[in-house]
Amino acid sequence: MFPEAAGGILCPSAPEVRFEDVRVRAGGRAILEGVDAVAPAGGATVLVGPNGAGKTTLLHCLLGETPYAGRIVMEGGRRMAHVPQQLVVERGLPLSVLEFLALGGQRRPLWLGVSREARERAHALLASVDAAGLARQRLGDLSGGELRRVLLAAALGHEPDLLVLDEAEAGVDVHGERLFWEVLDAARRARGFTLIMVSHNLPLAAHYATHVICLKKRVLAEGSPRETLTAPLLLSLFGVPIHLYPDQCDLEGPACPQCGALSAPGHRGRLPAGLADRKAS
Amino acid sequence: MMSMLAVACDALSVLPFECLEPRFMRRAFLALLLLTPMTSMLGVQVTLFRMAFFSDAVGHSAFAGVALGLILGAPPDAAMLVFGVLVGVAVMAVQRTSGLSADTAIGIIFSAVVAFGLAVVSRASGLARQMGQFLYGDILTVGDGEMAALALLLALLLLFETAGWNRLLAMALSPVTAKVQGIHTAFWHYLFAGLLALVVMFSVRAVGVLLMTALLVVPAATARNLARSAGGMFWWSIVVGMSSGAAGLLLSAQAWMATASGATVVLVACAWFAFSCFVRAVRK
Repeated sequence: MFPEAAGGILCPSAPEVRFEDVRVRAGGRAILEGVDAVAPAGGATVLVGPNGAGKTTLLHCLLGETPYAGRIVMEGGRRMAHVPQQLVVERGLPLSVLEFLALGGQRRPLWLGVSREARERAHALLASVDAAGLARQRLGDLSGGELRRVLLAAALGHEPDLLVLDEAEAGVDVHGERLFWEVLDAARRARGFTLIMVSHNLPLAAHYATHVICLKKRVLAEGSPRETLTAPLLLSLFGVPIHLYPDQCDLEGPACPQCGALSAPGHRGRLPAGLADRKAS
Repeated sequence: MMSMLAVACDALSVLPFECLEPRFMRRAFLALLLLTPMTSMLGVQVTLFRMAFFSDAVGHSAFAGVALGLILGAPPDAAMLVFGVLVGVAVMAVQRTSGLSADTAIGIIFSAVVAFGLAVVSRASGLARQMGQFLYGDILTVGDGEMAALALLLALLLLFETAGWNRLLAMALSPVTAKVQGIHTAFWHYLFAGLLALVVMFSVRAVGVLLMTALLVVPAATARNLARSAGGMFWWSIVVGMSSGAAGLLLSAQAWMATASGATVVLVACAWFAFSCFVRAVRK
């Protein structure tokens, strides 16, 4: 039996990933300025931060796509899988979901057909991400949410020790996004791999992550979501007031009469002009 | 291999077509049956990787290769093949390593090789005849050596498509994910570029540089419309390519047509494409 870990079973080969003074420069500009952080073994680590904070760059360093200074240490299994933000797939391409999943599951070229083992495996993977019934669909005909779950199924097919996702829920509606996190969390709990992902959805990250790294070229904070995603930290990270946990809210000032959001000193200018005027009056 | 090809050539005389009686016609027919499966197979990947412009650039380097061969005193056909492969690999290297967009990188190399070929032509007047063959192709004068090379290349390409088809498709869909899965993307990219360059050079010989890209793109585009799966697309592309090659040559030799063989092959392929659009519209 695997030892019980926080939030599910821990696969013995699930690695802990340590970023040690990771630096990246491009075009004379610093993209990452000495990132020190740890993604715990078997946990769901979410990278949060504004656009241009270096989240995707840090993932690309981990994937070996971007050269960097410093060290990235993986202690444990090294089998990695990746869920891309999107696929380069045209609507006219007659590639079925079944064939797509068989790509990584059989040596035989697809033009000689999908093997029975690959077919059975693909059906099992689809069922595990709540996408049973999509096998015969064309990849280009899937909705955003369906495509994300199929991509997740393909990544799970590689039985990873470490799963890396780059804003894999982008372009998905509210229901699809929630469902995606749900099946991802269930897969991690069942299989025990280490998960590192980029996300802009703070409420879902707060709900499903076991560890959060707040990034803005360097690490502003890391730890459990409740300890890390506090209103002051989110204000310094994004420059706008965000309250994930109402009991932690210590900002003063009247709420917006339209939506109830609290403003913050020095940030009124970020409200739409009409709302700011109304507050002032 | 030569004797096997000669036997195959003789066997074609059983076909009930008067125009295949001359040996050079049977040889041209066989050459197209060897070449079109290759252009069709690679065409599927050319459309996946959006590399039609790449093929164009490599095709246009054919003349510069011939010119270089004449300058260096090397056999022009061999020089053309070697130069074409070098251009293909160079384009791929620039595409993979420079910050330029693929179109810009290819456009620069494309311009350089065409300008080089034209500069050499402007100095050596004897190259004008070669220019016509380069532009329009001439499958009817294909020699024994070229036939053997085509057969060898087809065998090589079948091996490549067996080992590399899934990998190349994965790379086209997401290069980063493919790399993470352990696919050696650089190796497969360069191998693909080299083989594509070789096939492009033979296509220039068959239908000329003006129509060479059509042999790659039209069967593959037709196959997209007709196939219901990615595997089916591979086979449909071959069926369309080979039938266009055979029917195009036979039609061009009819007295009532008397058209250029390369152009007729491409016209048949385009008719296939129009039919596939109709089929697709009906299915919807």
